[in-house]
Amino acid sequence: MSAAGTDTAMVELRGVHKSFGSLHVLRGVDLSVGRGEVAVIVGPSGSGKSTLLRTINHLEKVERGSVRVDGALLGYRRVGDRLYELPEREILRQRTAIGFVFQAFNLFPHLTVRQNVTEAPLSAQRRPRAEVEALAAHLLDRVGLADKAEAYPATLSGGQRQRVAIARALALEPKLLLFDEPTSALDPELVGEVLEVVKDLARSGTTMIVVTHELGFAREVADTVVFMDGGRIVEHGPPAQVLDDPRHERTRAFIGKVR
Amino acid sequence: MTVSDLRAPELEREDPPLRVVTARRRLRLVAVLVVLVLLAMAGNALVTNPAWEWEVVGEYLFAPSVVRSVALTLELTALAIVFGFLLGTLLALARLSPNRLLSNVARGYVWVFRSVPLILQLLFWYNLALLYPRLTFGVPFGPSFFGIGTMDLIGPLTAAVLGLTLHEAAYAAEIVRGGLLSVDHGQREAAAALGIPPVRRLLRIILPQAMRSIVPNAGNQVVGLVKGTSVVYIMALPELFYQVQVIYNRNGRVMALLLVAAIWYLILTTVLSVAQHYVERHYGRGHR
Repeated sequence: MSAAGTDTAMVELRGVHKSFGSLHVLRGVDLSVGRGEVAVIVGPSGSGKSTLLRTINHLEKVERGSVRVDGALLGYRRVGDRLYELPEREILRQRTAIGFVFQAFNLFPHLTVRQNVTEAPLSAQRRPRAEVEALAAHLLDRVGLADKAEAYPATLSGGQRQRVAIARALALEPKLLLFDEPTSALDPELVGEVLEVVKDLARSGTTMIVVTHELGFAREVADTVVFMDGGRIVEHGPPAQVLDDPRHERTRAFIGKVR
Repeated sequence: MTVSDLRAPELEREDPPLRVVTARRRLRLVAVLVVLVLLAMAGNALVTNPAWEWEVVGEYLFAPSVVRSVALTLELTALAIVFGFLLGTLLALARLSPNRLLSNVARGYVWVFRSVPLILQLLFWYNLALLYPRLTFGVPFGPSFFGIGTMDLIGPLTAAVLGLTLHEAAYAAEIVRGGLLSVDHGQREAAAALGIPPVRRLLRIILPQAMRSIVPNAGNQVVGLVKGTSVVYIMALPELFYQVQVIYNRNGRVMALLLVAAIWYLILTTVLSVAQHYVERHYGRGHR
């Protein structure tokens, strides 16, 4: 976690609270992720890690606290001490700077792989078709699926689908990539091919926040490991510290169990 | 028992491949015979009974007045389906809206228009002039710009299209709503996360997927409506059913002309069913 200050942080969360009915899921989360940093969030089920990730592109509205991406307040406009909700058009524009990869892929089943990748740059960013098609071809090649461009998602394996989903997120050329348990819905033998793509992105200097259960992956690519429990960040730091020499009892118990 | 005993040695010795003999199903054979006899009896009853007057059927099947009435039946069906599903889609969206007023108005609409029989609604629209002899257009509760006699605006054809459309819309609203609900929530979320604008999200991402469950039900509605248009005969509109009545009232060949109508309804629904098959195949793309 960089202490370099808010000016250079890509993501800045301050005192974020979120409830679903009577369930208080996030209980005051502060998090700062620097440019080019790879943060991996781990923690038991129900600890609020996915909800936290979803607040970072406003799929969940926060009730208290603030979320800033690249310095700009997400979803709201601040006037004095009040936050005014932005019109949906503005929120959608903010989201195009943030790529999100879902656990369940959520590819559009009625569109081909190529159309899945080109849809958002064309309709949300209104970029010229020729440019978008070239970009899609390049991205599909990058995730190793150039030959599947005209296939429908149903004909692909889980690992291939998730790689298409990653290419789809990259097509927006986002400043920030969010991964919500990208390998949890995959058969064990397909996990590796997806993690390879994520590692490749991490090495290329993309700012990423990854929620995962793959501690080995966290150790390998994370600049920062964030351990969450009960809606709070219990501890964070370099993987060597959090995973191998945790300070808190709860972290130790979790890592002991997962291993 | 040793392991080698478990292998079936006689199978290995069998040199020519073993033949499979299908079990005989005697009851099924009996059923087939019974059905064949019944079919033959039905065919015989249709063909040999001169009262059907097949030559009259042949004479009127493609008579210009009948063909014109088929065209009107198709026109009524097409207008009511297109406008009915447009209005129904708006109602479905209103019903699913988080806004309580919109959703309750849509619910109320479906309640009223599904509850009142179609024939009654048609007569109601046809006789609207009794309630509101003059319709004026202008600012609500304010000055009006122009007015028109209700009778001049709503003739029998307009009343029929209006009645059929409003009736269809109530059913279409439920069909479209079911379709929209059948689309996985993750699809909406993915589209939102990608920043795809709301209208595009609906038309490009959600509705095409909803169509998989909408089309079979909509097909049912269309087929029902083709025949349902026959109730507009009460407004003396010369659609198929009204037209054959006109003819048999003149020449007394009741059964033959009813048969003409039945054959046409069969043809129309058959063509529509074939069309439905191709529409379903289109929206089923990408699914195995």
